[in-house]
Amino acid sequence: MRILPVIALLAGVGLSGGLAWGFLKPDRPAPFSSVIPARAEFQFEPPAPGSYRLNHIKPAPDGRVLDTDGHAQTLADLTKGKITLVSFVYLMCGDVNGCPLAMSTLFELHDASAQLPGLNRDVQLMTISFDPERDTVEAIHAFAYPILSDTAARDKFGWHVLTTGGMADLQPILDGYGQVIDRSTDQDQISHLLRLYLVDRSGQIRNVYGLGTIDPRLLMTDIETLLMEERQP
Amino acid sequence: MNRREFGTLTAAALAVGGPFKAFADETCQSPYMPKITGQEEFVYVWTLGVEGMGDEQDKLVTIDLRPGSDTRGQVINSLSVGGRNEAHHGGFSADRRYFWTGGLDTNRIFIFDVHSDPANPTLHKTIDTFVKDSGGVVGPHTFFALPGSMMISGLSNDADHGGRTALVEYNDSGDYVATYWMPTQDDMQGAAAIGDAVADGYGYDIRALIRKNVMLTSSFTGWSNYMMDFGQMLQDTEAMKRFGNTVVQWDLHTRQPKKVFNVPGAPLEIRFPWGPNANWAYTTTALTSQLWLIYEDEDGEWQAKAVADIGDPASIPLPVDISIAADDQTLWINSFMDGKTRLFDISDPHNPHQIYEKVIDRQVNMVSQSWDGKRVYFSSSLLANWDKKGADDVQYLRAYNWDGTELVEDFNIDFYALNLGRAHIMRFGSAALYTS
Repeated sequence: MRILPVIALLAGVGLSGGLAWGFLKPDRPAPFSSVIPARAEFQFEPPAPGSYRLNHIKPAPDGRVLDTDGHAQTLADLTKGKITLVSFVYLMCGDVNGCPLAMSTLFELHDASAQLPGLNRDVQLMTISFDPERDTVEAIHAFAYPILSDTAARDKFGWHVLTTGGMADLQPILDGYGQVIDRSTDQDQISHLLRLYLVDRSGQIRNVYGLGTIDPRLLMTDIETLLMEERQP
Repeated sequence: MNRREFGTLTAAALAVGGPFKAFADETCQSPYMPKITGQEEFVYVWTLGVEGMGDEQDKLVTIDLRPGSDTRGQVINSLSVGGRNEAHHGGFSADRRYFWTGGLDTNRIFIFDVHSDPANPTLHKTIDTFVKDSGGVVGPHTFFALPGSMMISGLSNDADHGGRTALVEYNDSGDYVATYWMPTQDDMQGAAAIGDAVADGYGYDIRALIRKNVMLTSSFTGWSNYMMDFGQMLQDTEAMKRFGNTVVQWDLHTRQPKKVFNVPGAPLEIRFPWGPNANWAYTTTALTSQLWLIYEDEDGEWQAKAVADIGDPASIPLPVDISIAADDQTLWINSFMDGKTRLFDISDPHNPHQIYEKVIDRQVNMVSQSWDGKRVYFSSSLLANWDKKGADDVQYLRAYNWDGTELVEDFNIDFYALNLGRAHIMRFGSAALYTS
């Protein structure tokens, strides 16, 4: 199995995320969102991390997925013990307000995470294709090349690039998250609403983001809020 | 936003294509949901059952709006939900596949599937536990879609059935998530009272300006008033004191109240504009008949001020529903008592002025317009016990064409003649939203 970046060693030493974060407490910029520049389309300052509560919206679903090496995995295993930002994308997507926007947001978080030492022990990214017929293992492996070949990946969030064996595996995952898709009649485009899901270590969806709210600073603030919540008795 | 900016915005919306990609609205919906920017194909009318009429039950009525259809302008489906609940408002989920509607008396929430067969909605789920789930909130009113969840404003509570209430959030599956009580003078929850505002804890509508992270709520009255006979209430001095006088500004992301504005006289519907640089909203006050502007000032602080009268406030025309044009240039304002709709020029939101008026009928409540503003629809019922009596109690859905100078009637459906009941909120549907 290839984990992006390679963090298996850290995970294997038995430091559960919250304990690791609280115990090690590396020096990091505060708040975390300060490492991300503001975008013009988000005309507000993120709230102070920990100044609010994130709801328990619903449990994230489990399901069978395939990684970039074609190994079968379960979502529960991949997300267990980590805070995970999950998004559904497909490689042929040409909607500027769809997958490209989701990916640019995730890449911005990915790059910014290099400035937050050790945070990748607690946080990871995940993209799941909702076009399993065209987004084969080979296709997502090629797509993931910039992430796989990133020489700085060790310092950044891990990133699971996933597909599924087909709609029979995918549909329950989509239904569980509430990600709606519609195939157009020419089958080339898959209409969908842009969504990002914040899943906590215990597998609960704690926030859902759509077009207009996927401010990377806001996502990072929510991540920091979850970590602060874990430190509370 | 001027007309040129609007044209650019529309072209951009249409250029990306696909049913989920248009980001504009048929003007008054949650900005998170896909919009019908072309021809609306159906209008769903959440209708109050009337004792002794038809099956006497609340129902979702579907009317065909498809050009060229043999049944255009006719009722093509009526789905009764069992009993009467004081059917009132409703809103689509953010994916626009489900239409959530509420009953102000029974507190039941009915979720209709409108995507599997948009011409023939089905009842998908009923929530019977709203009061228990929420910790005592009564009167589910506005249904405002958020990504992955539905924010519902209450009107009342089960302790005293007065106006103190809360916002209640459910996930898209219809499971309870959280309750956010309105700030009160005794528990401001960190909010600041602006000027002489007194936080009353009342609720009514919800709207949000996402890019500013601002959510606004307005304030009406509690169960003890909205279920009382209207004439009796007007004579009840104490009852008339139990109306909301506030608009609350919230942090949309954290769901925390920030400011409480003094907006006296029961501010009802809230509408934000669509322009990329328009940082304001309108609301109207039912009892004082004023148009209020909630706006961001030059220092980035949100403020509230009255900017126009609606008709003659002394005659209490009772402004009810409003509808903003997609280009932010005009605003329809209905007033229940005189049965009028008025069109205001809002090109300068600080200085709106009336440019047109027309009597729709002896009473009028809701107004909805198409994205291009060329088709305007009106319905009649306010509340079962507040609607007019006898011959003045007309119940209808009426469609008009707006040519820029005059409303010209297209068709009129008499809900009493068809034994349907009282026509309340209208929402548009279209099979083109769902391509699977």
